[in-house]
Amino acid sequence: MSARLLVLHALGRRAHVALLVIAGCALGLRLALLGHWDAYGALQLPLIFETAAAVAVAAATASPFGEPERVAGRWLPHLRVAVTLTLTAAAVGLLATAGLGGHLADGTAGVLRNVTGITGIGLLCAAALGGGLSWTGPTGFLVAALYALYARWHPPGLTTPLLWPARPPHDLGGALCAGLVFAGGLTAATLRGARDRPTDPDAA
Amino acid sequence: MNVEISALTRRFGTVQAVAGVDLQAGPGVFGLLGPNGAGKTSLLRMMATALPPSSGTLRLLGRDPGSHRPRCEIRRRLGYLPQHPGYLPGFTVTEYVEYFALLKEVPSARIGAAVATAVERVGLGDRRKARLRTLSGGMLRRAGIAQAIVNQPDLLLLDEPTAGLDPQQRVSFRALLRELGEHATVVVSTHLVEDVATACAEVALMDRGRIAFQGTPAGLAARGDERDVGDTPIERGYSAVLSEARS
Repeated sequence: MSARLLVLHALGRRAHVALLVIAGCALGLRLALLGHWDAYGALQLPLIFETAAAVAVAAATASPFGEPERVAGRWLPHLRVAVTLTLTAAAVGLLATAGLGGHLADGTAGVLRNVTGITGIGLLCAAALGGGLSWTGPTGFLVAALYALYARWHPPGLTTPLLWPARPPHDLGGALCAGLVFAGGLTAATLRGARDRPTDPDAA
Repeated sequence: MNVEISALTRRFGTVQAVAGVDLQAGPGVFGLLGPNGAGKTSLLRMMATALPPSSGTLRLLGRDPGSHRPRCEIRRRLGYLPQHPGYLPGFTVTEYVEYFALLKEVPSARIGAAVATAVERVGLGDRRKARLRTLSGGMLRRAGIAQAIVNQPDLLLLDEPTAGLDPQQRVSFRALLRELGEHATVVVSTHLVEDVATACAEVALMDRGRIAFQGTPAGLAARGDERDVGDTPIERGYSAVLSEARS
Protein backbone atom coordinates (compact mmCIF):
# COMPACT_ATOMS: atom_id res chain seq x y z
CA MET A 1 0.00 0.00 0.00
CA SER A 2 1.51 3.31 -1.06
CA ALA A 3 1.51 6.60 0.87
CA ARG A 4 -0.22 8.24 -2.10
CA LEU A 5 -3.11 5.76 -1.83
CA LEU A 6 -3.45 6.51 1.88
CA VAL A 7 -3.45 10.27 1.22
CA LEU A 8 -6.09 10.01 -1.53
CA HIS A 9 -8.23 7.74 0.64
CA ALA A 10 -7.98 10.15 3.58
CA LEU A 11 -8.91 13.08 1.32
CA GLY A 12 -11.80 11.03 -0.08
CA ARG A 13 -13.07 10.47 3.46
CA ARG A 14 -12.64 14.21 4.20
CA ALA A 15 -10.30 13.34 7.06
CA HIS A 16 -8.84 16.86 6.87
CA VAL A 17 -12.28 18.30 7.61
CA ALA A 18 -12.69 15.85 10.50
CA LEU A 19 -9.30 16.97 11.87
CA LEU A 20 -10.39 20.60 11.71
CA VAL A 21 -13.60 19.79 13.59
CA ILE A 22 -11.63 17.85 16.22
CA ALA A 23 -9.19 20.77 16.60
CA GLY A 24 -12.20 23.08 17.00
CA CYS A 25 -13.57 20.80 19.72
CA ALA A 26 -10.20 20.88 21.52
CA LEU A 27 -10.13 24.66 21.31
CA GLY A 28 -13.71 24.86 22.56
CA LEU A 29 -12.86 22.60 25.48
CA ARG A 30 -9.82 24.71 26.35
CA LEU A 31 -11.88 27.89 26.31
CA ALA A 32 -14.63 26.25 28.36
CA LEU A 33 -12.12 25.17 31.00
CA LEU A 34 -11.14 28.81 31.48
CA GLY A 35 -14.56 29.49 32.95
CA HIS A 36 -15.79 28.72 36.47
CA TRP A 37 -18.39 25.99 36.38
CA ASP A 38 -20.45 24.26 39.02
CA ALA A 39 -20.11 20.49 39.45
CA TYR A 40 -22.65 19.73 36.71
CA GLY A 41 -21.01 21.96 34.14
CA ALA A 42 -17.50 20.75 34.95
CA LEU A 43 -18.54 17.15 34.28
CA GLN A 44 -21.00 17.67 31.44
CA LEU A 45 -19.22 20.23 29.23
CA PRO A 46 -16.17 18.06 28.41
CA LEU A 47 -18.52 15.23 27.43
CA ILE A 48 -20.22 17.44 24.86
CA PHE A 49 -16.87 18.25 23.19
CA GLU A 50 -15.79 14.60 23.39
CA THR A 51 -19.01 13.52 21.71
CA ALA A 52 -18.64 16.11 18.94
CA ALA A 53 -15.08 14.90 18.23
CA ALA A 54 -16.26 11.26 18.21
CA VAL A 55 -19.00 12.11 15.71
CA ALA A 56 -16.39 13.75 13.44
CA VAL A 57 -14.36 10.51 13.46
CA ALA A 58 -17.41 8.35 12.72
CA ALA A 59 -18.71 10.64 9.95
CA ALA A 60 -15.36 10.33 8.19
CA THR A 61 -16.11 6.68 7.42
CA ALA A 62 -18.66 7.72 4.77
CA SER A 63 -17.50 6.95 1.25
CA PRO A 64 -18.43 9.19 -1.66
CA PHE A 65 -17.37 6.51 -4.18
CA GLY A 66 -19.92 3.75 -3.52
CA GLU A 67 -19.70 0.29 -5.03
CA PRO A 68 -16.80 0.82 -7.45
CA GLU A 69 -14.56 1.44 -4.43
CA ARG A 70 -15.94 -1.53 -2.51
CA VAL A 71 -15.04 -3.93 -5.33
CA ALA A 72 -11.65 -2.40 -6.20
CA GLY A 73 -9.06 -4.72 -4.70
CA ARG A 74 -7.96 -5.69 -1.23
CA TRP A 75 -6.65 -2.50 0.36
CA LEU A 76 -9.90 -0.88 1.43
CA PRO A 77 -10.18 -2.49 4.92
CA HIS A 78 -6.56 -1.53 5.68
CA LEU A 79 -7.22 2.05 4.59
CA ARG A 80 -10.40 2.28 6.64
CA VAL A 81 -8.73 1.10 9.84
CA ALA A 82 -5.72 3.39 9.30
CA VAL A 83 -7.84 6.52 8.87
CA THR A 84 -10.21 5.66 11.73
CA LEU A 85 -7.41 4.89 14.21
CA THR A 86 -5.48 8.00 13.21
CA LEU A 87 -8.50 10.26 13.69
CA THR A 88 -9.43 8.60 17.01
CA ALA A 89 -5.86 9.04 18.26
CA ALA A 90 -5.92 12.67 17.11
CA ALA A 91 -9.22 13.26 18.94
CA VAL A 92 -7.95 11.73 22.20
CA GLY A 93 -4.59 13.50 21.91
CA LEU A 94 -5.95 16.96 21.11
CA LEU A 95 -8.72 16.86 23.74
CA ALA A 96 -6.35 15.54 26.41
CA THR A 97 -3.84 18.25 25.50
CA ALA A 98 -6.59 20.87 25.72
CA GLY A 99 -7.30 19.69 29.25
CA LEU A 100 -3.68 19.92 30.47
CA GLY A 101 -3.30 22.49 33.22
CA GLY A 102 -7.08 23.05 33.29
CA HIS A 103 -9.68 21.58 35.61
CA LEU A 104 -10.69 18.70 33.36
CA ALA A 105 -13.01 16.73 35.65
CA ASP A 106 -12.07 13.15 34.72
CA GLY A 107 -8.55 13.87 33.41
CA THR A 108 -6.82 12.19 30.45
CA ALA A 109 -8.11 8.73 31.40
CA GLY A 110 -11.67 10.03 31.18
CA VAL A 111 -11.04 11.58 27.76
CA LEU A 112 -9.52 8.33 26.46
CA ARG A 113 -12.42 6.23 27.72
CA ASN A 114 -15.20 8.59 26.65
CA VAL A 115 -13.86 9.43 23.17
CA THR A 116 -13.06 5.83 22.20
CA GLY A 117 -16.35 4.48 23.52
CA ILE A 118 -18.52 7.13 21.90
CA THR A 119 -16.53 6.81 18.66
CA GLY A 120 -17.34 3.10 18.76
CA ILE A 121 -21.06 3.93 18.99
CA GLY A 122 -20.69 6.30 16.03
CA LEU A 123 -18.85 3.68 13.96
CA LEU A 124 -21.56 1.11 14.64
CA CYS A 125 -24.19 3.64 13.57
CA ALA A 126 -22.22 4.44 10.40
CA ALA A 127 -22.04 0.74 9.50
CA ALA A 128 -25.75 0.22 10.16
CA LEU A 129 -27.28 3.51 8.99
CA GLY A 130 -24.65 5.27 6.86
CA GLY A 131 -22.06 7.94 7.55
CA GLY A 132 -24.64 10.71 7.33
CA LEU A 133 -26.56 9.25 10.27
CA SER A 134 -23.53 8.29 12.36
CA TRP A 135 -24.32 11.15 14.78
CA THR A 136 -27.59 9.59 15.95
CA GLY A 137 -26.16 6.99 18.33
CA PRO A 138 -23.56 9.28 19.95
CA THR A 139 -26.16 12.02 20.41
CA GLY A 140 -28.63 9.64 22.05
CA PHE A 141 -25.85 8.30 24.25
CA LEU A 142 -24.82 11.86 25.16
CA VAL A 143 -28.31 12.65 26.40
CA ALA A 144 -28.39 9.48 28.53
CA ALA A 145 -24.86 10.11 29.86
CA LEU A 146 -25.64 13.75 30.72
CA TYR A 147 -28.63 12.54 32.70
CA ALA A 148 -26.48 9.90 34.42
CA LEU A 149 -23.96 12.60 35.40
CA TYR A 150 -26.80 14.76 36.74
CA ALA A 151 -28.14 11.78 38.68
CA ARG A 152 -24.89 11.52 40.61
CA TRP A 153 -26.32 14.21 42.90
CA HIS A 154 -29.96 13.31 42.51
CA PRO A 155 -30.67 9.74 43.60
CA PRO A 156 -31.47 7.18 42.44
CA GLY A 157 -28.19 7.41 40.51
CA LEU A 158 -27.49 5.50 37.30
CA THR A 159 -24.43 3.42 38.03
CA THR A 160 -24.28 0.98 35.12
CA PRO A 161 -20.86 0.67 33.39
CA LEU A 162 -22.79 0.93 30.09
CA LEU A 163 -23.06 4.65 30.86
CA TRP A 164 -19.32 4.93 31.36
CA PRO A 165 -19.04 8.76 31.42
CA ALA A 166 -20.88 8.72 34.75
CA ARG A 167 -18.36 6.29 36.28
CA PRO A 168 -15.07 7.38 37.87
CA PRO A 169 -12.27 7.61 35.27
CA HIS A 170 -10.41 4.52 36.52
CA ASP A 171 -13.50 2.33 36.85
CA LEU A 172 -12.70 -1.02 35.25
CA GLY A 173 -16.27 -1.87 34.23
CA GLY A 174 -16.78 1.45 32.44
CA ALA A 175 -13.42 1.19 30.68
CA LEU A 176 -14.19 -2.37 29.54
CA CYS A 177 -17.58 -1.36 28.15
CA ALA A 178 -16.10 1.61 26.28
CA GLY A 179 -13.24 -0.55 24.96
CA LEU A 180 -15.56 -3.31 23.78
CA VAL A 181 -17.88 -0.86 22.01
CA PHE A 182 -14.88 0.76 20.29
CA ALA A 183 -13.53 -2.65 19.24
CA GLY A 184 -16.92 -3.58 17.81
CA GLY A 185 -17.27 -0.28 15.97
CA LEU A 186 -13.75 -0.45 14.59
CA THR A 187 -14.32 -4.01 13.35
CA ALA A 188 -17.57 -3.02 11.63
CA ALA A 189 -16.02 0.11 10.10
CA THR A 190 -13.02 -1.89 8.87
CA LEU A 191 -14.78 -4.88 7.37
CA ARG A 192 -17.99 -3.29 6.18
CA GLY A 193 -17.40 0.45 6.11
CA ALA A 194 -20.22 2.94 6.34
CA ARG A 195 -23.38 1.86 4.59
CA ASP A 196 -23.71 3.69 1.28
CA ARG A 197 -27.42 4.35 1.58
CA PRO A 198 -29.91 3.51 4.31
CA THR A 199 -31.80 1.34 1.80
CA ASP A 200 -28.73 -0.55 0.59
CA PRO A 201 -29.42 -4.11 1.76
CA ASP A 202 -26.10 -5.69 0.99
CA ALA A 203 -23.18 -3.30 1.22
CA ALA A 204 -20.27 -5.66 1.85
CA MET B 1 -14.87 -18.37 -20.35
CA ASN B 2 -14.53 -15.28 -18.15
CA VAL B 3 -18.10 -15.45 -16.91
CA GLU B 4 -19.81 -18.75 -16.05
CA ILE B 5 -23.20 -18.51 -14.40
CA SER B 6 -25.49 -21.39 -13.58
CA ALA B 7 -28.97 -21.30 -11.98
CA LEU B 8 -28.13 -17.98 -10.32
CA THR B 9 -30.80 -16.36 -8.15
CA ARG B 10 -31.04 -13.27 -6.00
CA ARG B 11 -33.92 -12.49 -3.70
CA PHE B 12 -34.63 -9.24 -1.82
CA GLY B 13 -37.18 -10.16 0.83
CA THR B 14 -40.17 -11.41 -1.12
CA VAL B 15 -38.96 -10.03 -4.46
CA GLN B 16 -37.12 -12.42 -6.76
CA ALA B 17 -34.83 -10.03 -8.69
CA VAL B 18 -32.88 -12.77 -10.50
CA ALA B 19 -34.70 -16.06 -10.94
CA GLY B 20 -32.37 -18.77 -12.23
CA VAL B 21 -30.02 -17.32 -14.84
CA ASP B 22 -27.59 -19.41 -16.89
CA LEU B 23 -25.00 -17.43 -18.83
CA GLN B 24 -21.54 -17.84 -20.29
CA ALA B 25 -19.39 -15.10 -21.78
CA GLY B 26 -15.88 -15.01 -23.16
CA PRO B 27 -13.93 -12.07 -24.62
CA GLY B 28 -16.10 -9.64 -26.57
CA VAL B 29 -18.88 -7.19 -25.89
CA PHE B 30 -21.95 -8.76 -24.32
CA GLY B 31 -25.16 -6.74 -24.13
CA LEU B 32 -27.65 -7.20 -21.32
CA LEU B 33 -30.99 -5.82 -22.43
CA GLY B 34 -34.32 -5.60 -20.68
CA PRO B 35 -37.03 -3.32 -19.37
CA ASN B 36 -36.78 -1.55 -16.01
CA GLY B 37 -36.92 -4.04 -13.15
CA ALA B 38 -35.89 -6.99 -15.32
CA GLY B 39 -33.00 -7.88 -12.99
CA LYS B 40 -30.09 -6.53 -15.09
CA THR B 41 -28.58 -4.41 -12.33
CA SER B 42 -28.85 -7.17 -9.71
CA LEU B 43 -27.18 -9.62 -12.10
CA LEU B 44 -24.43 -7.11 -12.88
CA ARG B 45 -23.86 -6.38 -9.16
CA MET B 46 -23.44 -10.09 -8.51
CA MET B 47 -20.94 -10.28 -11.37
CA ALA B 48 -19.13 -7.30 -9.83
CA THR B 49 -18.88 -9.18 -6.49
CA ALA B 50 -20.84 -6.35 -4.88
CA LEU B 51 -23.85 -8.54 -4.11
CA PRO B 52 -23.75 -12.21 -3.01
CA PRO B 53 -26.14 -14.54 -4.86
CA SER B 54 -28.99 -16.20 -2.95
CA SER B 55 -28.28 -19.47 -4.75
CA GLY B 56 -26.63 -20.86 -7.88
CA THR B 57 -23.09 -20.94 -9.20
CA LEU B 58 -21.00 -17.98 -10.27
CA ARG B 59 -17.45 -18.20 -11.59
CA LEU B 60 -15.59 -15.11 -12.77
CA LEU B 61 -12.22 -15.22 -14.53
CA GLY B 62 -12.06 -18.93 -13.64
CA ARG B 63 -12.43 -18.24 -9.90
CA ASP B 64 -15.11 -18.54 -7.24
CA PRO B 65 -15.95 -15.06 -5.86
CA GLY B 66 -17.48 -16.68 -2.76
CA SER B 67 -14.02 -17.22 -1.26
CA HIS B 68 -11.90 -14.33 0.03
CA ARG B 69 -8.62 -14.81 -1.83
CA PRO B 70 -10.13 -15.55 -5.27
CA ARG B 71 -12.50 -12.61 -4.77
CA CYS B 72 -9.54 -10.27 -4.17
CA GLU B 73 -7.86 -11.58 -7.34
CA ILE B 74 -11.06 -11.10 -9.37
CA ARG B 75 -11.49 -7.56 -8.05
CA ARG B 76 -7.94 -6.62 -9.05
CA ARG B 77 -8.78 -7.58 -12.66
CA LEU B 78 -12.30 -6.13 -12.68
CA GLY B 79 -13.67 -2.84 -13.96
CA TYR B 80 -17.10 -1.76 -12.76
CA LEU B 81 -19.29 1.24 -13.44
CA PRO B 82 -22.63 1.11 -11.60
CA GLN B 83 -25.71 3.02 -12.64
CA HIS B 84 -25.14 5.67 -9.96
CA PRO B 85 -21.44 5.85 -9.12
CA GLY B 86 -20.28 8.29 -6.46
CA TYR B 87 -17.79 11.11 -6.92
CA LEU B 88 -15.87 13.40 -4.61
CA PRO B 89 -16.50 16.91 -5.99
CA GLY B 90 -13.12 18.20 -4.81
CA PHE B 91 -11.06 15.57 -6.64
CA THR B 92 -9.62 16.31 -10.07
CA VAL B 93 -10.27 13.84 -12.88
CA THR B 94 -6.67 12.60 -12.56
CA GLU B 95 -6.88 12.16 -8.77
CA TYR B 96 -10.16 10.27 -9.11
CA VAL B 97 -8.81 7.83 -11.70
CA GLU B 98 -5.43 7.55 -9.91
CA TYR B 99 -7.18 6.57 -6.67
CA PHE B 100 -8.84 3.63 -8.41
CA ALA B 101 -5.61 2.68 -10.19
CA LEU B 102 -3.85 2.49 -6.80
CA LEU B 103 -6.73 0.54 -5.24
CA LYS B 104 -6.59 -1.96 -8.10
CA GLU B 105 -2.84 -2.38 -7.60
CA VAL B 106 -1.66 -1.07 -10.95
CA PRO B 107 2.16 -1.21 -10.60
CA SER B 108 3.47 2.13 -9.31
CA ALA B 109 5.82 2.59 -12.28
CA ARG B 110 2.83 2.40 -14.65
CA ILE B 111 0.31 4.48 -12.67
CA GLY B 112 0.96 7.79 -14.44
CA ALA B 113 0.75 6.29 -17.93
CA ALA B 114 -2.27 4.13 -17.06
CA VAL B 115 -4.20 7.12 -15.68
CA ALA B 116 -3.29 9.33 -18.65
CA THR B 117 -4.30 6.60 -21.14
CA ALA B 118 -7.64 5.95 -19.44
CA VAL B 119 -8.47 9.65 -19.28
CA GLU B 120 -7.51 10.13 -22.96
CA ARG B 121 -9.56 7.12 -24.05
CA VAL B 122 -12.75 8.63 -22.66
CA GLY B 123 -11.98 12.00 -24.21
CA LEU B 124 -11.24 13.92 -21.02
CA GLY B 125 -7.54 14.58 -21.71
CA ASP B 126 -8.07 18.34 -21.85
CA ARG B 127 -10.05 18.29 -18.58
CA ARG B 128 -7.73 16.03 -16.61
CA LYS B 129 -6.94 18.76 -14.05
CA ALA B 130 -10.54 19.90 -13.70
CA ARG B 131 -12.34 19.35 -10.41
CA LEU B 132 -15.19 16.86 -10.69
CA ARG B 133 -17.62 19.50 -9.38
CA THR B 134 -17.01 21.51 -12.55
CA LEU B 135 -17.86 18.68 -14.98
CA SER B 136 -21.19 18.09 -16.72
CA GLY B 137 -23.19 14.89 -16.18
CA GLY B 138 -21.83 13.33 -19.39
CA MET B 139 -18.25 14.19 -18.45
CA LEU B 140 -18.73 12.67 -14.99
CA ARG B 141 -20.03 9.53 -16.66
CA ARG B 142 -16.86 9.42 -18.80
CA ALA B 143 -14.69 9.92 -15.69
CA GLY B 144 -16.53 6.93 -14.21
CA ILE B 145 -15.72 4.88 -17.31
CA ALA B 146 -12.06 5.95 -17.00
CA GLN B 147 -11.82 4.58 -13.45
CA ALA B 148 -13.38 1.33 -14.65
CA ILE B 149 -10.83 0.79 -17.43
CA VAL B 150 -7.68 2.19 -15.77
CA ASN B 151 -6.43 -1.29 -14.79
CA GLN B 152 -7.05 -2.72 -18.28
CA PRO B 153 -9.58 -5.14 -16.79
CA ASP B 154 -10.18 -8.67 -18.07
CA LEU B 155 -13.81 -8.29 -17.04
CA LEU B 156 -15.52 -4.94 -17.51
CA LEU B 157 -19.07 -4.41 -16.21
CA LEU B 158 -20.94 -1.28 -17.24
CA ASP B 159 -24.45 -0.42 -16.05
CA GLU B 160 -26.20 2.07 -18.36
CA PRO B 161 -22.84 3.53 -19.46
CA THR B 162 -24.29 5.78 -22.17
CA ALA B 163 -26.82 7.51 -19.88
CA GLY B 164 -26.14 11.24 -20.08
CA LEU B 165 -23.82 11.04 -23.10
CA ASP B 166 -24.65 13.11 -26.18
CA PRO B 167 -25.01 11.33 -29.57
CA GLN B 168 -21.41 12.05 -30.64
CA GLN B 169 -20.03 10.78 -27.33
CA ARG B 170 -22.17 7.67 -27.60
CA VAL B 171 -20.75 6.88 -31.03
CA SER B 172 -17.16 7.25 -29.72
CA PHE B 173 -18.05 5.21 -26.66
CA ARG B 174 -19.35 2.34 -28.78
CA ALA B 175 -16.04 2.34 -30.68
CA LEU B 176 -14.20 2.22 -27.34
CA LEU B 177 -16.37 -0.72 -26.25
CA ARG B 178 -15.51 -2.66 -29.41
CA GLU B 179 -11.81 -1.94 -28.86
CA LEU B 180 -11.96 -3.06 -25.21
CA GLY B 181 -13.87 -6.18 -26.22
CA GLU B 182 -10.98 -7.41 -28.37
CA HIS B 183 -9.16 -8.57 -25.23
CA ALA B 184 -11.63 -8.42 -22.35
CA THR B 185 -15.15 -9.56 -21.58
CA VAL B 186 -17.28 -6.43 -21.56
CA VAL B 187 -20.80 -6.76 -20.18
CA VAL B 188 -23.00 -3.76 -20.89
CA SER B 189 -26.38 -3.46 -19.21
CA THR B 190 -28.69 -1.07 -21.02
CA HIS B 191 -32.23 -0.53 -22.16
CA LEU B 192 -31.05 1.27 -25.30
CA VAL B 193 -31.26 -1.34 -28.03
CA GLU B 194 -29.30 0.76 -30.54
CA ASP B 195 -26.22 0.57 -28.27
CA VAL B 196 -26.47 -3.21 -28.33
CA ALA B 197 -27.11 -3.37 -32.08
CA THR B 198 -23.95 -1.46 -32.93
CA ALA B 199 -21.48 -2.47 -30.23
CA CYS B 200 -22.28 -6.00 -29.05
CA ALA B 201 -21.39 -9.35 -30.58
CA GLU B 202 -23.81 -11.18 -28.30
CA VAL B 203 -26.89 -10.15 -26.43
CA ALA B 204 -29.17 -11.48 -23.68
CA LEU B 205 -32.63 -10.09 -23.06
CA MET B 206 -33.84 -10.31 -19.47
CA ASP B 207 -37.40 -10.12 -18.25
CA ARG B 208 -38.68 -10.69 -14.71
CA GLY B 209 -35.35 -12.04 -13.55
CA ARG B 210 -34.96 -14.60 -16.33
CA ILE B 211 -33.15 -14.69 -19.68
CA ALA B 212 -35.83 -14.56 -22.36
CA PHE B 213 -33.40 -14.55 -25.31
CA GLN B 214 -29.70 -15.12 -25.84
CA GLY B 215 -27.96 -14.83 -29.19
CA THR B 216 -26.63 -12.26 -31.65
CA PRO B 217 -28.19 -8.84 -32.26
CA ALA B 218 -29.08 -10.08 -35.77
CA GLY B 219 -30.80 -13.09 -34.21
CA LEU B 220 -32.80 -10.82 -31.93
CA ALA B 221 -33.77 -8.62 -34.89
CA ALA B 222 -34.93 -11.70 -36.80
CA ARG B 223 -37.44 -12.55 -34.05
CA GLY B 224 -39.55 -9.49 -34.91
CA ASP B 225 -41.78 -8.64 -37.84
CA GLU B 226 -43.70 -5.61 -39.10
CA ARG B 227 -46.54 -6.16 -36.60
CA ASP B 228 -44.28 -5.71 -33.58
CA VAL B 229 -43.67 -2.40 -31.85
CA GLY B 230 -40.45 -0.57 -32.79
CA ASP B 231 -38.78 1.65 -35.37
CA THR B 232 -35.84 -0.63 -36.14
CA PRO B 233 -35.63 -4.41 -36.70
CA ILE B 234 -33.87 -4.98 -33.36
CA GLU B 235 -36.49 -2.94 -31.50
CA ARG B 236 -39.20 -5.05 -33.14
CA GLY B 237 -37.30 -8.21 -32.17
CA TYR B 238 -37.01 -6.91 -28.59
CA SER B 239 -40.77 -6.29 -28.45
CA ALA B 240 -41.56 -9.68 -29.97
CA VAL B 241 -39.40 -11.61 -27.48
CA LEU B 242 -40.86 -9.69 -24.52
CA SER B 243 -44.44 -10.29 -25.71
CA GLU B 244 -43.70 -13.97 -26.18
CA ALA B 245 -42.08 -14.26 -22.73
CA ARG B 246 -45.08 -12.63 -21.08
CA SER B 247 -47.80 -14.48 -22.96
